Amino acid sequence: MAQDDEDRRAWFRREILPLEPELLAYARRFCRDGQTDPEDLVHDAFARAIACKTWREIGNPAAFATRVLRNCALDALRRRKVLTITAVADFDRIEPIDEAPGAQAIMESREALQALADAIAELPTQCRRVFTLRKVYNLSPDEIAGRMGLSVSTVEKHLVKGLRYCSDKLGRRSERKSKVDERRSWSGTRDQDAKR
Amino acid sequence: MERDTGSRREAVRQAAALWVVRLDDPSCSEADRAAFEAWRGESFEHEAAYEREAVAWARLDRARALRPGLQRPDADLLAPAPKPRLTALARSPWARGLAASAAMALIVAGSLSFGTSTAYATAIGERRVVVLDDNSRIELNTNSKVVVRFKRGVREVKLIKGEALFDAAPDARPFVVKAANAVIAADGSAQLAVRLGSDGAAVTVRKGAVDVDPVRAEAKDDMRLTAGVAAIYDSRGTRSRAVSEAEIDRSLAWRQGAIALNGQSLAQAAAEFNRYNHRQIRIADPSIASLRLAGYFQTTEPTSFVSAVTSAFPVRASQGEDGAIRLSRRS
Repeated sequence: MAQDDEDRRAWFRREILPLEPELLAYARRFCRDGQTDPEDLVHDAFARAIACKTWREIGNPAAFATRVLRNCALDALRRRKVLTITAVADFDRIEPIDEAPGAQAIMESREALQALADAIAELPTQCRRVFTLRKVYNLSPDEIAGRMGLSVSTVEKHLVKGLRYCSDKLGRRSERKSKVDERRSWSGTRDQDAKR
Repeated sequence: MERDTGSRREAVRQAAALWVVRLDDPSCSEADRAAFEAWRGESFEHEAAYEREAVAWARLDRARALRPGLQRPDADLLAPAPKPRLTALARSPWARGLAASAAMALIVAGSLSFGTSTAYATAIGERRVVVLDDNSRIELNTNSKVVVRFKRGVREVKLIKGEALFDAAPDARPFVVKAANAVIAADGSAQLAVRLGSDGAAVTVRKGAVDVDPVRAEAKDDMRLTAGVAAIYDSRGTRSRAVSEAEIDRSLAWRQGAIALNGQSLAQAAAEFNRYNHRQIRIADPSIASLRLAGYFQTTEPTSFVSAVTSAFPVRASQGEDGAIRLSRRS
């Protein structure tokens, strides 16, 4: 049972989480009226995706995640008190994200490393120092606290803040090779589907 | 309603991040691990949020590759661009010029540095709510940008482009909004909307009061604006007038993703839609530019606006060669 849960989480980490930048971009298309926060849709979609007990049967994780996110968007729309006609009409025009599997060309690792360094460099001074000692020099929170004259809970606070900043920042950045023109690639997929 | 979910989401993600940090601490106890298992077991939302932060935390391990060999830990290793130190200026004009360019570089680095200031921006058609560390709130309209800088006891927010609504949280430090040539000091819990125009800024106070003094040292222009007052600062000077609550709400219809027109000209309305959309509306015929309109439209629906205009007025819409919607008089 525990192993089963661990497998399910590993699947989520491997197949669903890397889709974050694409899902966020897709979610924005449902949120153009500003009533729903795209980050909320992605957050909800992740919670639903990880709950999937039949994950082993999913052949195309991107298509699955797209569908889940779309359902989250529809639910958010239903929860709204006032439904505008244009919002409903808009929904039908939103095409799914490019579901082509195997597009995962991991970007150059030097570039990835630079992205990490940039993210850390953007943190407020004290937070950045604590974060650097933890993640670059691998000092423990106790050691950092002693060294910087802070309490362990303050060190934790800085680490949480730094992690939240970096996870947002890295989540928005695609690890895959970016598409030349997202919109074009979306409508392109749609056209092919229509012809089939 | 929906706006509350953002803070709930962030609370869950913060909690997840704290678990990631705790579990990775070598002094993490069995009791902590058990408490984590219980927390994660509460919902799939917790489970997914934890995975998300844990993966980011693990990705950040790559930062170890940045560590220079055989050195004592340097907490400031990743500090943003080091600032050049200005030593005594040499006498020669050439050296002075060099020093001047070093000073320029310092200024540029300062404005780009994220160490002490953070920029928030929106793309065309996008809106965004930012909650600052002090709980002040900034709502950014389309194609807008602010830079937030808390320093030396001042909460400074600079509107670089576009339009934003600011909610100043009560705090001992003054909350100062800079926009074009206006410097606005907001009282705690004041709410003000600021919009940049082509050569100045328009400020509308919705709640509380603000003190305004233009950057130019014309101290006599200092003034206090209270709720229900709008002021414009531009090259022609400063003027203010009273505005009704309904008028303020109409000017803030963008918060609901809408444009509320109440007697504006077709030219003004088209300019307004063009702020929110890549697909532009152009008025090809000056004789229709001053038609007056009223109504409530979705910012992202220029076509429904155009069809309302063409059905109500003798106006014809056609497709311009650049994809724009071209409006002309129907003959």
